[in-house]
Amino acid sequence: MNTELLFNGFAILAVLGAVGLVLFRHPMNGAMSLVVTMVALAGLYALLSAKLIFALQLIVYAGAIMSLILFIIMFLNLQEKDLPEESGRWYYLLGGVVVIAPIALFLIKIVKTLPGSEATIVGGGFGGIKEVGLVLFQDWLLPFEIVSILLLIALVGAVVLAGKRRLGK
Amino acid sequence: MNDFLSLLPLLVTCCGAIVLMLLAALEKYRPESGALLSLGFLAAAFFLQLSTLGEPARPLFRELFNGMASTSGFSAAAGAIVLACAFFTVMITHTYFKENSFATLEFYAVLLFAVCGMLLLTLASELICAFIALEIMSLAVYVLVGFNRNSLRATEALFKYLLLGAFAGAFFTMGTALVYGAAGSTRFYDIAVFTQSGGASAPLMIGGVFFLLVALLFKAAAFPFHAWVVDVYDGASVPVTGFMATALKTALFALFANFLAQSAGLHDKWITFLFVISVMTMFGGNLIAIGQDNLKRMLAASGIVHSGYLLIALVAISADQFSGSVIAYYLAAYGAGTLGMFAALSYLGGKDERRVSFEDFKGLAKVRPFSAAAITVFLLSMAGIPPTAGFMGKFYVITAAINADHIALAVLGIVSSILSMWYYLRLIVLMYFHEAEEGFDTGRCGWAGTGTAILVASVFVIGIYPIII
Repeated sequence: MNTELLFNGFAILAVLGAVGLVLFRHPMNGAMSLVVTMVALAGLYALLSAKLIFALQLIVYAGAIMSLILFIIMFLNLQEKDLPEESGRWYYLLGGVVVIAPIALFLIKIVKTLPGSEATIVGGGFGGIKEVGLVLFQDWLLPFEIVSILLLIALVGAVVLAGKRRLGK
Repeated sequence: MNDFLSLLPLLVTCCGAIVLMLLAALEKYRPESGALLSLGFLAAAFFLQLSTLGEPARPLFRELFNGMASTSGFSAAAGAIVLACAFFTVMITHTYFKENSFATLEFYAVLLFAVCGMLLLTLASELICAFIALEIMSLAVYVLVGFNRNSLRATEALFKYLLLGAFAGAFFTMGTALVYGAAGSTRFYDIAVFTQSGGASAPLMIGGVFFLLVALLFKAAAFPFHAWVVDVYDGASVPVTGFMATALKTALFALFANFLAQSAGLHDKWITFLFVISVMTMFGGNLIAIGQDNLKRMLAASGIVHSGYLLIALVAISADQFSGSVIAYYLAAYGAGTLGMFAALSYLGGKDERRVSFEDFKGLAKVRPFSAAAITVFLLSMAGIPPTAGFMGKFYVITAAINADHIALAVLGIVSSILSMWYYLRLIVLMYFHEAEEGFDTGRCGWAGTGTAILVASVFVIGIYPIII
């Protein structure tokens, strides 16, 4: 009963945060709204007994990455006059909702077919550092390794697209 | 040891990418040396890949990788096609950057990273690996599309592609999660075992596979998700467009076929869906292509049509004895023709890609007879006229459809092929039967010219090869 209540609370908060991220006009408000989503997701992970992921979500995503994003937005010092004119945005939003609604209904229908089950606390150290490490480096070695290429190309790409360029050299 | 050999092309390309990335930090290396270096790495990887072609289908490093990567004759062939496409793309860029100066060494590093992602995609036999490979490839290609920062169109294309690609990535992860929920594993093999025993109709599985297919069809520019392709291909520079149209599509269809062909249960469940999509893709693509006045936009739209033919081949594959030879052959034939077109465009386009519309190529045959002849060969191959590779490719796809009892699909494929003659032959007529209006001050052919000549030869070699063997 309690877990269901908690789950619903966190899920609603996560969705509200995401909606706010899209709807707020100023990027600063949007970023703060994203923090709500991140923290709510951490709560959902905790409900799944994923201890390590819960901590990482709070420290890395809600903490480090969000402060970096906030720092950059503050650094740009955006004023009201710098924001683009978004006159037709409610119409776009309405169009988006119309497009997304069938997909959402489809998903709800799928989820309704799932058998209900009681939430229990998973034992055996599930979700701890040691267990996650074992799974990560034994079963999921290949994805773990190739993520390094993904991070590298993301870095190089960011430098190429935004960095200073020496043409003709 | 053999497993290591199958991974070696991937490792060589990855090393090449990292070496180029490091060299880019030094002042003294020019982009030309980057082109040379990447040609070397790609050629080495290509020949290593060729040496693995005869290997049997098996998971790579079963103990270490847990069946998350596997190779087969089809995967190896797709990898070889990707490497060959990248090789010719580098040849094209070498000439292209003489007229359009925005080259840096990083361009080649990013290109090789994209090839890494594509090779991983051909090897992936697990959804999370496939997702990471897909993102490596996509990130690299986004950067390549927007590489010319002075061009507004390139920036616009980058922006559109990035946002829509992110959507497709989200759909892919969503689908992966649902499939995991149904089958309890993301490995293709386990999913196949699950679907074989009637699991393909489980609601979670249907939802998951639907989202996965949406993501893959988006990347393949199939019918309801094709809107981005014309603008993105038009905004990207000529060599990048050629690379996207050939190598990216090859890697993607390798994953597509590997995923679907694993289990008959899954394939049968989705055959009607794919049938409708392939027909809509062919005719939708033709409709767009007929209305285009710009050569690059026409080629983009014709790429949509070719995706439609590849989807026919996907409908026709049988999961019991999947060899993928039809798909690999079609991809090779299409790759040779399309890359050849872009190779010719890269040196005929002139400075900053001035020459873009059909009208600009009027009377080309008088001024550049060889280039015009080469373009004619490529266009005939894409239209599917014997004895070119494109004809044999279409022939195989359509016979495969007939063998699998999809007569309607085969007939629609032929009709679409006849429709597509219109826009291919239009360019040939303009080149040969019209007088040139302006002087053709085109650049020197350079390496792109050599590439064009080799591709003309390979169009015929690929076309005649199955007859001789």
